[in-house]
Amino acid sequence: MAVRRVFSVVLAAVLVVGVIVAIVVGRERGSGQSLETVRGVVGSEKAPFFADPDVVAAFAAHGLRVTVDPAGSRQISEIDLAGYDFAFPSSFPLAERVQRKQGVTTAYAPFYSPMAIASFAPVMQLLSRASIAERMPDGHWVVDVEAYLAAARKNLRWDQIPGNTAYPARRNVLVTTTHPRDSNSAAMYASVVSYVANGNAIVRDIGGVPKVLDEVSALFLGQGYLENSTEGPFESYLANGLSYSPLVWVYEAQFLGRQFRRDGSIRDGMVLAYPSPTVLSKHTLVPLGDDGDRVGRLLTQDPELLRLAARHGFRTADANALANFAAGAGVDPPPPLVDVVDPPSYQVLETMLDAISRRYQQ
Amino acid sequence: MKALALAVLLLAVAGCSPSSPEDDPNTLRVLAGSELADLQPILDELKRATGVRVKLTYTGTLDGVEQVYSGQAAASYDAIWFSSNRYLQLHGGVDQRIGIQTKVMSSPVVLGVRQPVAKSLGWDTKRPTWTEIADAARARTFTYGMTNPSASNSGFSALVSLTSALSGSGSALTEPEVTGAAPQLREFFAAQALTAGSSGWLADAFERRVRGGDPIGGLINYESVLLSLNARGTLPEPLVLVYPTDGVVTADYPLTMLTGASAEARGRYDTAVEYLRRPEVQRPIMERTYRRPVVPQVATDGRFGGGTLVEVPFPVHLDVANALIQSFNDVTRRPPSTIYVLDLSGSMRGERIDALKSAMLGLSGADSSLSGRFSRFHGREQVTLVTFSSQPANPLTFVVPGDAPQPVLDEIRDVVNEWRAGGDTALYDALVVAYEIAAEQVRAAPERVTTIVLLSDGERTSGRDLAQFRDFYRGLPPPTRAVPVFPVLFGESAESEMAEVASLTGGRTFDGRSALATAFKEIRGYQ
Repeated sequence: MAVRRVFSVVLAAVLVVGVIVAIVVGRERGSGQSLETVRGVVGSEKAPFFADPDVVAAFAAHGLRVTVDPAGSRQISEIDLAGYDFAFPSSFPLAERVQRKQGVTTAYAPFYSPMAIASFAPVMQLLSRASIAERMPDGHWVVDVEAYLAAARKNLRWDQIPGNTAYPARRNVLVTTTHPRDSNSAAMYASVVSYVANGNAIVRDIGGVPKVLDEVSALFLGQGYLENSTEGPFESYLANGLSYSPLVWVYEAQFLGRQFRRDGSIRDGMVLAYPSPTVLSKHTLVPLGDDGDRVGRLLTQDPELLRLAARHGFRTADANALANFAAGAGVDPPPPLVDVVDPPSYQVLETMLDAISRRYQQ
Repeated sequence: MKALALAVLLLAVAGCSPSSPEDDPNTLRVLAGSELADLQPILDELKRATGVRVKLTYTGTLDGVEQVYSGQAAASYDAIWFSSNRYLQLHGGVDQRIGIQTKVMSSPVVLGVRQPVAKSLGWDTKRPTWTEIADAARARTFTYGMTNPSASNSGFSALVSLTSALSGSGSALTEPEVTGAAPQLREFFAAQALTAGSSGWLADAFERRVRGGDPIGGLINYESVLLSLNARGTLPEPLVLVYPTDGVVTADYPLTMLTGASAEARGRYDTAVEYLRRPEVQRPIMERTYRRPVVPQVATDGRFGGGTLVEVPFPVHLDVANALIQSFNDVTRRPPSTIYVLDLSGSMRGERIDALKSAMLGLSGADSSLSGRFSRFHGREQVTLVTFSSQPANPLTFVVPGDAPQPVLDEIRDVVNEWRAGGDTALYDALVVAYEIAAEQVRAAPERVTTIVLLSDGERTSGRDLAQFRDFYRGLPPPTRAVPVFPVLFGESAESEMAEVASLTGGRTFDGRSALATAFKEIRGYQ
């Protein structure tokens, strides 16, 4: 397993470096300026950001050429980080783990994305009749996780919701996620549902895991076969819509990034709902040297990079940036987040995910 | 003169190409399901556009699964490409064998129903549930063809959808639900009129039945196969595609890297995947192969009907998936009646008879591989052995009990171990004996699926010839004529005669010349 991971990281690196070199070489000819190369390993959902030519140019303006190896966020905390100037996983617990392993105390959290549910307006209306979803005065949808868990506990099926013409499926009301073994987004899902299953309290220690394990596991195993990467379910949602799944667990940034691109992939009736509570995927950069530290600082402070992060759908310290892009793309501004909980510690989360994964083997 | 010109031309062409395709270093070696053969024109264009050659080597679903989890696949291939990885990924340790996977296209498993049948059942205007389909099957107002779930993904997908629906389950199936659905499944499968080991052959066989004036109600298959069949224009009227409202299982064709492939292979994989997912490539994939696109920029056109489909949760435990197959084979399917007509003439001496014995012993339980376990003689199966040399030997019939099969399987093994080769080849006399037995069985037990396997390593040298057999066959009553012969090519088999026997009886030939046991296992999907 470890061999495969390192291997694929290296391979991906070769490709990414190739692209970046091509772009940078083109620019350098113009400026005649030499760039310092900084290497990072980043959660794969951020690879498109670093590959964006405008992002490359923004770093080049500061004399940096940033090359990244995409990896699953949960892998970043396990692989050998020698030779890297920074690690950039997609959640705070994973960054914490890297910090501990590397003996680093600093960290930058330049952007974040709440977890959300890609769905459809008629499905949300249906869930509101079952008191699971509610439309806020500003128009955005909120899914009440407590009501959702209560429905799941009763094995509520879509076709049991009265007056259901939108999706009368003989299938349990369950959010489609990725496999808990592989992906950070599934870990974020486990964070939210374990919080609610634990009586609206973070599972503080490993001893608290068994209490919520049955309920959280059922939310994964009941779905049937699960995919490995967050990109897979979201793409199937875009391509096949309701025929794929009525509820898909995603990063807000995935949905917004697509909307801002205005490529027609977000069609009429597709809506992004917010679970309450939700959890933030805090993309946290751990510097492993001075160069990595510069990247962290630039991502946090450089106005151009912050603007570009917003274009990729990430939230930053500048609350207006995302709203501006939303206005430009003709979509509703993302709502302020009121009900946000912290994920459990790395150790608790890993214990929980391992225990869930083991149930697939039984 | 013409020949000379052609030779010059060929030389010129050969001179142009830098190397033969076999040693093209820019090749992604892919172990694939045979239904991907229709993608070859797209792959040729991929090669022209990117320089990367995607070379598909075909194998059966279960054999592919076995090669991947044993690690054997990685020795010869860089990637795999089957209709689905779901069953594969239920096997422990597979996650260490496979890397990144990218969906390329998709096709749900649905029903194609002949128009008069669809109209009389009202399915042309209102989508039925699986329960309604099962009700029609029980009433015999709907008969159908479906592939064998242990041999083909489309059959297995249908079995998952159907079992989920009949069990009333809204989440992934459990073993008690599989067991509980057995009585209803048995009624459903009683109406199955056609079986096959491959989705493509099933469509061909269905078409033959319709055009031969012996139509069945419909067939369960990939949407892509059904749309292709309609597009051929060979049916009197196109099939109505029926999408059960309570669920389908969709094949998503993930092109999947194998662990241990080289960095160069990974580069070729990335190139191939990037190309195949371009909107301008997804569109021709949709138009030529009738599979649905996977990128949002390409919308499905009007031929892809059904409205909203409900994707059935796929089992998460290997035990559940295997219980589905086992229960189908031993409990819910129409029990098979299988007649083996086997050549023990002098030319079979040595390696040949050893290969035959080993193939038959494999089916009697000696083959413990995954494909071997699913292809052994099933509970309730009736196995008849008709060996022949200068004349047919006395037929031996065994019935494998559903609960304790081992003693009967042991009896079969004892008989097989006693076989000795010697004498002439009274091939057609033996086939006549087989049909006489078949006639009796079809009369006595019409609920059974009766088929004949014919193995000979050479020409007939005594008794009836092909013409005489043909006359005999044509004189048989229609229900017995419906029993197909599956000839296995072996040694110096009379290939064209075997092909004629197959087409005369509605069977097909299998090539056992390189691996006889593999051919015998493959035939199990058709029995």
